[in-house]
Amino acid sequence: MSTSRGHELPTVTPFFADKQDLLARILSRYPDYGRRSAVMPLLWEVQRAERHVSRARVDEIAEILGLHATEVKGVMSFYSTYHEHPVGAYHLQVCRTLSCSLAGADELAAFLEEELDLVNGETDAEGRFSLQFVECLGSCGTAPVLQVNDSYFERVSRSRCRALLDAMRRDALPAPTVERGGDNEVVRVEGADRSATGEAGEGDRA
Amino acid sequence: MRVKVNDRELELAPGTSVIDAVFAAGYDVPYFCSQAYMSPIGACRMCLARIGAPRKDRDGNWLVDDATGEPKVFFFPTMMATCTTVVMEGMVVDTLSKEVKDAQRGMVEFTLINHPLDCPVCDKGGACELQDRAYEYGTGRSRFVFDKRHQEKHHPLSELITLDRERCIHCKRCVRYFEEVPGDEVLDFIERGGHTYIGTLEEGLPSNFTGNITDICPVGALLDATSRFRGRNWEYDHTFTTSLDDASGSAIVIDARTGRIERIKSGINPEVNKSWIDDGIRFGHEYAGDPERLRRPLLRRGDAFEEASWDEAAAFISERLGGLSGKDVGIAIRADATLEEGVAARALAELIGTGQVDHAPRHGPSLVPVHGATLQDLATATAVIVLGDVTEELPALDLRIKDALKGVSPPPLFAHGVPIADLRLKERMPRARERLTVVAPYRVGLMQHAGRPVVVPVGGEAAWLQAMTDVANGTDPDEGALGMGRAEAQGLVRQWREASKAVMVVGGFVLASAKATDAAAALAKAVGASQLLVPPMANGRGLEITQVLPSHARYDYRGMLAGSAKALLLSGLDPARDPATAARLGACELLVVHDLFLTDTAKLAHVVLPGKSGYEKDGTTVSLEGRFLPVRAAPVDNGEAEDLTGVVKVLGEAFGKRLEGRSVRSARRVLRKELGFDPAELDRLGLLHDLPRRRSGVSVGPRQEATGAALRVPTMVRPEYLARNPRLRAALGDLALRLHPADAAGHDLHDGDEVRVPVDGAPWRLRIVLSEAVPRGVCLVPATPDAPVGRAHVALEQVVHERRALEVA
Repeated sequence: MSTSRGHELPTVTPFFADKQDLLARILSRYPDYGRRSAVMPLLWEVQRAERHVSRARVDEIAEILGLHATEVKGVMSFYSTYHEHPVGAYHLQVCRTLSCSLAGADELAAFLEEELDLVNGETDAEGRFSLQFVECLGSCGTAPVLQVNDSYFERVSRSRCRALLDAMRRDALPAPTVERGGDNEVVRVEGADRSATGEAGEGDRA
Repeated sequence: MRVKVNDRELELAPGTSVIDAVFAAGYDVPYFCSQAYMSPIGACRMCLARIGAPRKDRDGNWLVDDATGEPKVFFFPTMMATCTTVVMEGMVVDTLSKEVKDAQRGMVEFTLINHPLDCPVCDKGGACELQDRAYEYGTGRSRFVFDKRHQEKHHPLSELITLDRERCIHCKRCVRYFEEVPGDEVLDFIERGGHTYIGTLEEGLPSNFTGNITDICPVGALLDATSRFRGRNWEYDHTFTTSLDDASGSAIVIDARTGRIERIKSGINPEVNKSWIDDGIRFGHEYAGDPERLRRPLLRRGDAFEEASWDEAAAFISERLGGLSGKDVGIAIRADATLEEGVAARALAELIGTGQVDHAPRHGPSLVPVHGATLQDLATATAVIVLGDVTEELPALDLRIKDALKGVSPPPLFAHGVPIADLRLKERMPRARERLTVVAPYRVGLMQHAGRPVVVPVGGEAAWLQAMTDVANGTDPDEGALGMGRAEAQGLVRQWREASKAVMVVGGFVLASAKATDAAAALAKAVGASQLLVPPMANGRGLEITQVLPSHARYDYRGMLAGSAKALLLSGLDPARDPATAARLGACELLVVHDLFLTDTAKLAHVVLPGKSGYEKDGTTVSLEGRFLPVRAAPVDNGEAEDLTGVVKVLGEAFGKRLEGRSVRSARRVLRKELGFDPAELDRLGLLHDLPRRRSGVSVGPRQEATGAALRVPTMVRPEYLARNPRLRAALGDLALRLHPADAAGHDLHDGDEVRVPVDGAPWRLRIVLSEAVPRGVCLVPATPDAPVGRAHVALEQVVHERRALEVA
């Protein structure tokens, strides 16, 4: 329901208002009858730029794609990588599935909880750290694994973790510890750069 | 296809699902996610069975079992969900072996893992699919020793529907329903895995068809808020009847308990409403149990009313009538009266000797089209032209139109009824929007689904229809009235002409004008379309064909009110909102009002007789397609209330006459002669019975058509009872005056303001709703039985604020 009162509730500038090129490029990937498929890339653009997808953005995406907001929310809530509330500048995700658990992930999790004074799912008041326990990150050979934003830090011992936290508090996140070579390396370094400076990657990465 | 189910062999059409084969063979498998008229998805895995089929070798010969010489049956390696498997030649289905029973037991146990088992306090208890299936197919014990999932127990999805998230078993029926049936995707699964729940971001579920999810929910998760905690299922009396809320003839089941209607559920009529009804029909019953209902006749003594017996009331009326000339008496009944009541009204008029008998609301033009269509025709049409706002006027049509866009014809029925799994239906089926053209004087809901929406000016339907007819006939059209380019109009006309079946739905805006109705008939003829004409109330078509009509146009309902009658009997009508009419009614020598409540008109009456609602009558109604349907009375405590046959009985007795319409039975004797069949023998599905157009020679239309820039628009709810339907009122809000935001600014009107405003001179209290769907310069106000759909004058400059909407600081 729109209201036309003199005092209007603050409105949010549409996210894609000044990104028409990007929007057109994303939509061009899908045929007209499959326009709704663009919901994932659009959500991802918003999530990357704003570290969460607010209700206003959900409505905006629904409007763009001609869907109901409920459907966008349904897709968004299915994936744990989209957030309803902003996550911190450093989103710490601790794998606690079997291999990591055997290698000390539970102790790592307890250490982080104590060190950051956060419990699973919380973000600190400053907006610097978010802590989340997740299931297998697929790096079982190098357990325990800590994912910071988009990069993996492997074989994270207590001392290494403390050093990492100190670095992040100085906003000087080091390059991730690389144990496996191959194409992972390139992606990880790129991801680390982006999260270290806190900038959102813009444009189409396809 | 020859299929063998356990020990029984049967022959089935290709494309049949295995679950229907099992039921057709007389066996049973449990299922939760499949639902008649919706796509099978195989989500709940309850309908597992062992399925095998013969195979062919490379040369196309059946592989033969050496021992028997018969084709060898190869069983699938795992159990198959029968709802998503299609029958094959020579298929063998096993639903009775130990493996199958074990699999089904396992699924019941799994489904019950997170189910709270709060059956003793659950409204679904006793009529619950999960309860039944757990009893029939479960083990009776659980090995799940851990904590069950805890979720919200009383989540109001809207004012009308309450969701219990713990009871939900994630069958996805409700989510699929909204996508597949009304096409309003307002409900979805949120989260995933063990955390999944049903939720919405659309506040209050904006759709006219939300209540159906309470019927199809296999557990007690989705509940009708009007009936929550009102009774147990085994206490209800179920009355299978036909809704008199609109002219669709929708089948309903009235559940009453201790003399009160507690809920209304959808009945099944495959050729009419399938298994769906709109929220107006489902939730609009609370008025029938209103404590202010009249229970005994009232007689005026001075300024006050006194309760009286029916005999006293009848004696008073016959005495007063004795002093009057018969032809000065007018009898008007509301157009949702049954055929039997119509016969009673006619018999009474004959006794009194008056030609002033009519039903209202009634449009001028006949409701029997020259080339009529049925609802099945509409659902299988390849071109649909809609004139008006059917989603509000007759919501059942809206759903049948959406069937036509899917292009899946109604399924053939089995002995066990509608196919449980119709494999032609899929999730997210493409809709052929280009088949649908919607024409209305404002943006209506159905336009979202239309290939060609056309917004015409108020009263501009006749001109548009005329212009399109000109295009069809190859003459020069008035291009300004087309609302589109000439080439596009020609394309549309060609599409309608070439369609294998074209149906035109004509709503109230067109029927309100004789000129527009003629133009619609001419266009339908020019493009070869058949027509469905939407009556203003449930039995408009029936009362027309049984001739509950005045002997002369000037004796119609408007004429009676304007002064042609000195004494009036009004059944269900309330014209006193208009001050001039109220003054004339006050001056009547005799005013008898037969109604449910002490309405404004009843307050002016000499005698008030208690009436029955549409849920309490026995009788017959005729739907818009000409289908004769039975109406049956639910056991409701209504005091001494009578329908019109009861009124005529006591009046006849007071005159010492046994009238033909003195009871439903005697009225049916008359109808049997007139119709050629006995209405008492109608079954629930009704009878399509074509009667010739039987209009007497006189034109019985209103003498002059309404004018004005505003419109009285149809609403799904019955405005006259909205105030007495608290749930529906809370969900949909008070009666609204809708207008464009830019128009509102000039009159200091804001969204949500409550105002008093004159509509055609009668005072109305309305809530302001601002909407871009309304064109500039147009106001939309609700239509009522006494002021039916059509044009009106709304004096916006005389608006008085009753209550302003809350200021947002």
